[in-house]
Amino acid sequence: MLSKHAVRLASVPIFFSIGLALTGCADIGTKVNETLKGINQTLNDAGPGFLPKGSVNATNHTQTITNLWVGSWIVLWGVGIIAWGLMIWAIIAYRRRKGENRIPPQLRYNNPIEALFTVVPLIMVIGFFAFTAKSMADIESPVAGSRNIQVIAKQWSWDFNYTDSKVHEVGIQSQYAGEPGYNSLNDVPTLWLEKGVPVHVKENSRDVVHSFWIVDFLYKKDVFPGQTNNIYFTPEKVGTYKGKCAELCGEYHSMMLFNVHVAEKNEYEKHMADLAANPATSGLLSNTLARNQNLPGNDPNIKG
Amino acid sequence: MAYEAEKKSKGRILVDWLTTTDHKKIGYLYLITSIVYFMIAGVMALVIRAQLTMPGLEIVGSKEQYNQLFTMHGTIMLLMFATPLFAAFANILMPVQIGAPDVAFPRLNAIAYWFYFFGSFIAVAGFFTPQGAASFGWFAYAPLSNTTFSPGIGGDLWVFGLALSGFGTIMGGVNFITTILTMRAPGMTMFRLPIFTWNTLVTSILVIMCFPPLAAALFALGADRKFDAHIFDPANGGPMLWQHLFWFFGHPEVYILALPFFGIVSEIFPVFSRKPIFGYKTLIYATIAIAALSMTVWAHHMYVTGQVLLPFFAFTTMLIAVPTGVKVFNWIGTLWKGSITFETPMLFSLGFLTTFIFGGLTGVILSSPTLDFHLSDSYFVVAHFHYVVFGTVVFAMFAGIYFWYPKMTGKMLNERLGKIQFWLLFIGFHTTFLIQHWLGVIGMPRRYATYLPEDGFTWMNEISTVGAAILALSMIPFLWNVFITWRKGEKTTLNDPWGYGRSLEWATASPFPRHNFTSIPRVRSESPAFDLNHPEFASPEVKPVVASTKKKG
Repeated sequence: MLSKHAVRLASVPIFFSIGLALTGCADIGTKVNETLKGINQTLNDAGPGFLPKGSVNATNHTQTITNLWVGSWIVLWGVGIIAWGLMIWAIIAYRRRKGENRIPPQLRYNNPIEALFTVVPLIMVIGFFAFTAKSMADIESPVAGSRNIQVIAKQWSWDFNYTDSKVHEVGIQSQYAGEPGYNSLNDVPTLWLEKGVPVHVKENSRDVVHSFWIVDFLYKKDVFPGQTNNIYFTPEKVGTYKGKCAELCGEYHSMMLFNVHVAEKNEYEKHMADLAANPATSGLLSNTLARNQNLPGNDPNIKG
Repeated sequence: MAYEAEKKSKGRILVDWLTTTDHKKIGYLYLITSIVYFMIAGVMALVIRAQLTMPGLEIVGSKEQYNQLFTMHGTIMLLMFATPLFAAFANILMPVQIGAPDVAFPRLNAIAYWFYFFGSFIAVAGFFTPQGAASFGWFAYAPLSNTTFSPGIGGDLWVFGLALSGFGTIMGGVNFITTILTMRAPGMTMFRLPIFTWNTLVTSILVIMCFPPLAAALFALGADRKFDAHIFDPANGGPMLWQHLFWFFGHPEVYILALPFFGIVSEIFPVFSRKPIFGYKTLIYATIAIAALSMTVWAHHMYVTGQVLLPFFAFTTMLIAVPTGVKVFNWIGTLWKGSITFETPMLFSLGFLTTFIFGGLTGVILSSPTLDFHLSDSYFVVAHFHYVVFGTVVFAMFAGIYFWYPKMTGKMLNERLGKIQFWLLFIGFHTTFLIQHWLGVIGMPRRYATYLPEDGFTWMNEISTVGAAILALSMIPFLWNVFITWRKGEKTTLNDPWGYGRSLEWATASPFPRHNFTSIPRVRSESPAFDLNHPEFASPEVKPVVASTKKKG
């Protein structure tokens, strides 16, 4: 009795808000077009397993990560399809028909089947662990003779010390405030790396915990005040990559962006020479700017 | 019952509710309070989604306010909605399911609720202070959470409010454990307890293991903030110390949220499949295994800190997939060869299972440090934990409310409105969160107040925001349903209006009598109510006594 009435009443706010949402977009046609363009763009940018296309051969590690990603998803989709499939099959095949008045057999245990769905996942998990352990050991291993870079995080930007070249760069946060056509490349700091040269990135923070994430490199690592973290990789493809802070670090967390520019040898060396020639960027940046009062500096090698 | 029928003035009713020590009334207080917080934090989520619809929007006044919103959204949803919701269902049902008249410590139970009530209010009251509520994220990483980086009274209120509320949770845990261990009716052996009660027991054990470290950590943070204690000072490794303490609480907390709701659906699947739960003991062992493992996996939240033993935490984390998978297949086994109907509680339980399976798959992905290095702190993680936590807590909560509403109020909620609510919730939820997996994979970090147009995140965020609006709409049929049932709903006179109830609450009146049962119930199997109502299908060990049960009925 109340149900039909109730449905009608319930539908009023639903249609009202859908209507509002539709009229809210002044020009639906353009909006839909934009969204379709966005979808198209995203699909074009999608690499293996929807990872960003830019990650293909970006570093010596991205292939390993991609392989594990794609392989795991294939297995997991298999598991998922079995689980959902059994569930949907049960819903359809064992639904109570009209006029049916039976109580099904009161089955409570089936030990072989229960053993099966305990042991099979256990074996899969052990296999998954083996692949993971191998790949993460590769990713986290230092390489002898790497070029040293120090990345210093601060609220809300990044400083880079090119330790071996004795030059540095100081960054400011992104100034984006919603204006159309804004290009973040212009004001956020850019870390330069040389193609094919292994790097050892040492991370320090001047204030709170941050996280150094280069999206296309499929890797991030947190940056701590009071201790040094390390990243090891070899960039293998020339290009400019987006980087973001990935650990909440205060009000302008979302503005703590950076770029990574991987250059050929001559271009990289020219940039280092330019930095060395400029008195504002030659020498190394001191670590004594930390805002934690009990922490004068983290790395004794780079003091003063 | 004369006691219930007495007409009381409004003032007396109010005093009665404020001073009650009845486990059911305290349960209803928990239920109502936590749903109010669910809606408050839900509105915050809508503002967050509105802000992210397009790059560069400024729906909220500043990024600091945005940070306050997601901090309090997370805090409220986890500690003021989902955790007390466990206390709500445990209080209302567990004593009835074990055949007891009340919990072991009724007054402790009342003070636990009021600690939660005032503690939560204190934490949220930050919004009424000049600098606003806490904004350092619900996991309050040091040193961002100290007064150098987050000055303002909002952070202090957050710390001490949560500590107070946490004591309420600990007291609740102690109470539930004692009740289950000492107050079971004659014949209610441990292996005849309903799964929900078993899960309440295991959850309460987790509570008393992991909430005290949180309380200690919060007081230490409070000492840092108010008395310059330097416990979490970066000069002596404070940031990692905080993360270890926090996640040592934080990961078991996820299972404190999940296990009771696994219990709820484990009660519902058998009733609407007309079969006992498949693999009853296996399910209990799986729950214990999950709880034990959950105490050993906390550092999987810290893979990217570069300072934890990756292989150990990766392996224990992956192992959790095994008992969790056992549970999923046990639920499917319960459906198998049943006779299934799709009343609203069943619909929500199936919605839970569908959603939870996907949350489990992405959980396996995240358990691998190799993959987590990319995905950690991205929207992939946001999507994953909403699949797991929302999929479990919210779907199972509505399943439980529709299922036990006749026991709580004596009236059935409207089925048609329930189904409308389910489909709006289901479609809204998946529209909001499925797309966020891809958003994270292509590089959107969590807790970003905005993003750049050239990031290519825009269309995905638009879809997500539309989904959030649909999700929010699903609350309208629910509230309307509660209202219309209150005004016009027909009273049910049946002990078991669903017809195939199994545990003890279906063998007593609807709504529950003051002390739950008018005489001590008889228990001879894990399905006492089912044995009573369908003696010809009762489990073999019960059959000989069927005749005498029938005479009594």
